[in-house]
Order: sequence, then structure tokens, then C-alpha cells
Amino acid sequence: MNSDVILILVVATALAFDFTNGFHDTANVVATSISTGAARPQVAIGFAALLNFVGAFISISVAATVAKDVVDAEVITPTIVFAGLIGAIAWNLITWWFGLPSSSSHALIGGVVGSAIAAVGFDAVIAEGLVGKVLIPAVVAPVLAFLVAGVAIAVSYRVVGKQRPGIVSRGYRYGQIVSGGLLALAHGTNDAQKTMGIITLALIANGTLAAESDPPFWVIASAATAIALGTYSGGWRIIKTTGTRIIKMDAAQGFSAQGAGAAVILASTHFGFPLSTTHVINGGVMGSGAAKRLSAVRWGVAGNIVVAWLLTLPAAAAIGALTFGITRIFGTGALGPVLVALMALSLVGVAFARRAQEGAPVEATGA
Amino acid sequence: MIATIVHTDELLQTVLASVVAGIGVTFLFSLGIWGAGQFAELSRSERPVAATAALAVGAVALVCVGAAIVIGIVVMTHK
Repeated sequence: MNSDVILILVVATALAFDFTNGFHDTANVVATSISTGAARPQVAIGFAALLNFVGAFISISVAATVAKDVVDAEVITPTIVFAGLIGAIAWNLITWWFGLPSSSSHALIGGVVGSAIAAVGFDAVIAEGLVGKVLIPAVVAPVLAFLVAGVAIAVSYRVVGKQRPGIVSRGYRYGQIVSGGLLALAHGTNDAQKTMGIITLALIANGTLAAESDPPFWVIASAATAIALGTYSGGWRIIKTTGTRIIKMDAAQGFSAQGAGAAVILASTHFGFPLSTTHVINGGVMGSGAAKRLSAVRWGVAGNIVVAWLLTLPAAAAIGALTFGITRIFGTGALGPVLVALMALSLVGVAFARRAQEGAPVEATGA
Repeated sequence: MIATIVHTDELLQTVLASVVAGIGVTFLFSLGIWGAGQFAELSRSERPVAATAALAVGAVALVCVGAAIVIGIVVMTHK
């Protein structure tokens, strides 16, 4: 009974996390298309939400990595997963409050690793999976997107350089409907799978699923729905982000940036690498800008990404560990997680109310 | 040991696939735009054969873009 209550809490919290992930990331997915005039905001957001939903169904490799390759599912309990989720949400909330850069994906993995270490010790962590499938791809992917987008825009300027600007601009705007769609699909498939992986891990930990099981259909469908709803809801608040915050871009640059981001995310997803999709998209946007004019890029954003790399995993891990410790004060039953969930809900409510009072916008921290 | 942790093979395949898809698709799509632009220019200059050839190059390039996207998604769904 106790573990079922905790499991329900984990599923609800994970889906809420997935919703906020979509909410935060709408801007990253659609801003490039909107800023170049390739799509109207309403169309871009609706299209992105739909393709986020579809994307969640096309692969389960990342879900398998999160469920089986980062922590040892045999020693994990639903309370550990719950504490990790709270660690990730708390870190996202803290970074959002103070305007610090973050990555929801790294926060999620960091939170679970931290709570697992606090509960079981370092033996619970699969170092090979954490380093090889999370940390190294986290560094490689944005750099790869930067380089691919840079070369791609150089190639495209070379090919269409002598054509009339009107036809070139119109052509790439049409192209951005496809590249933007692919980016939304890629985002849905990589990010929704992290939630699927976390819920699957909790189901295995609870004994509901056998070890090594893949996510059941209801987990895939609910994660897809949560991220799509989040994407749709988030669009109206955070339109002015990646596309104009990093660099003013033309349609060819937008196409190259989106194409590079989609290619890197889809290829990584195929091999089960859970990425920060925000970092990859930003890498693509900066690459397409740098290839044209280095000074056009706001390099401070790149610095923020590096800070996010360095901070997010350890900080979320520390909060995940602390959260697990707090739940343990109330014993091993459901009381601790229930109280922590209520406390977290209250804090989220207070934070949003304070921000709303101050009139500050809700900005993306990245995923 | 390091090779096992780093997943070198999968990482290299990711890099290769990203480079081929990201740069290749952009190149082909640009070729499609080039074909359309050249077609318009050459038609205005009353050079129908060259205009048709340019249009054909552009059309083939765009078909290749579509094929590349379909292949990519099929590969993704068949693991």
C-alpha cells in the first residue's frame, strides 16, 4: 500500500516535470522559425506540440538508458526515484528564480543519482553509463551541433550565394517548416523519453515491472501527452528567446541551425544518449551565427551553457540526496514522500505567486 | 577500459550521422533553391533547355531531402 502511494506520487511528479519540460522548451523549438518569419506563432506552437507528441513514440532507447544504465534498478526504491525528481524540480525552480542557466535533463539525472547515493551508496551508480551515456554526450552534442550548423550555413551560402535574395529567403522559410518540424520531433523523442525512463525505473523498483522491462504503452502515451500539453501551454509566455536572444538570423541560418539540432538530437537518441536538447539547439543557433560573423553571436549565452554543465548535475544530486534524507526522517513509508510533495507544491505555488506579483516573466531554464 | 566507458563506436556513429544528415540535407535543400532560382533566371533569358536542366537538378535534390528524412525516421523507429 505504502509503496503504491509513493509510486503514484512518482508518476504524477514525473508527468508534472515532463509538462514543465515542454513548457520551458517551446521557445527553443519554435523561436527560430518565428524570428525568421517562417511560421506564425500560433501555427509554430501548435505544430511543435503535435510533433512533440508524435516524437515521443518513435524510440525508447533514451528511456532504456535512464531506466537501466545510470543507476542500478535492482537496488533502487520508488522513494529514491521520488527524491531524485524533487531534487531536479527544486534545482529547476532555484535556477529559474535566480535566473541561472540550467538543464532539466541533467537535473533529472543528477537528482536521481544523488538520492541513490544517499540511500544506497556509490555502488548504486553505474559509472560507465553515467559517464559514457550522459556526461560525455552532454559535452560532445552541443559542440557537434555548433560545428555542423556552421559548416551547413557556409555550404548553403556557397550554393545559393548568387541567387536573388527573394527566392532564397522564401525557399529557406518553406524549408524551416520541415526543419522546425524535425526539431520538434527530435525534442519530443529525447525529452519525453527521460520521463518514460524515470517512471519505468520506479515501476521496476516497485516490482510492478520485471527488471530490464521496456516502458509500457500507458507510460509512453502519458509522457507524450504531458510534454505536448506543456509545449502548447508554454508557447504563449516565452516566445522571445533563442531565436533573437542569441543572434538575429536569416532564414538560411534558421534552417541550418534547426537541421543541425535535429540531426544531432535524433542521432543521439537512436543510440540512447539523453541530451540537454536546449544546449544542442543553442549550439546550432550559435554555429550558424558564428559562421557568418563571430561578433553577431552573444557569447555570454555559450558561457551560461558551460556554467550549466558544471553546476546542474552536482547541485541537483545534492538536493536529491537531501530530499531523500528528509523523507527518511519520517520512516520508510509513504508519509515522508507525501509531506515532501506537499512542501514542494507549496514552494512552487509561493514562487510562482511571488514572481507573478513582481510581474517578472517566466523564462526558460532549458532542458 | 576507457573505450568501454566512452562508447566510442556509438559516439562516432552519432557524429557521422549528424554530419552527413545535418550538412548533407542542408546542401541538398540549398541545391533545390538554386535550381528554382536558376530556372527563373534562365527562363527570363529565354534559355529553356538550361532552365529545365536546372529545375530537374533542384527537383532531384528536393526528392533526396525527402528521402533522407524518411530514411532517418525509419531507422529511428526500427531499433
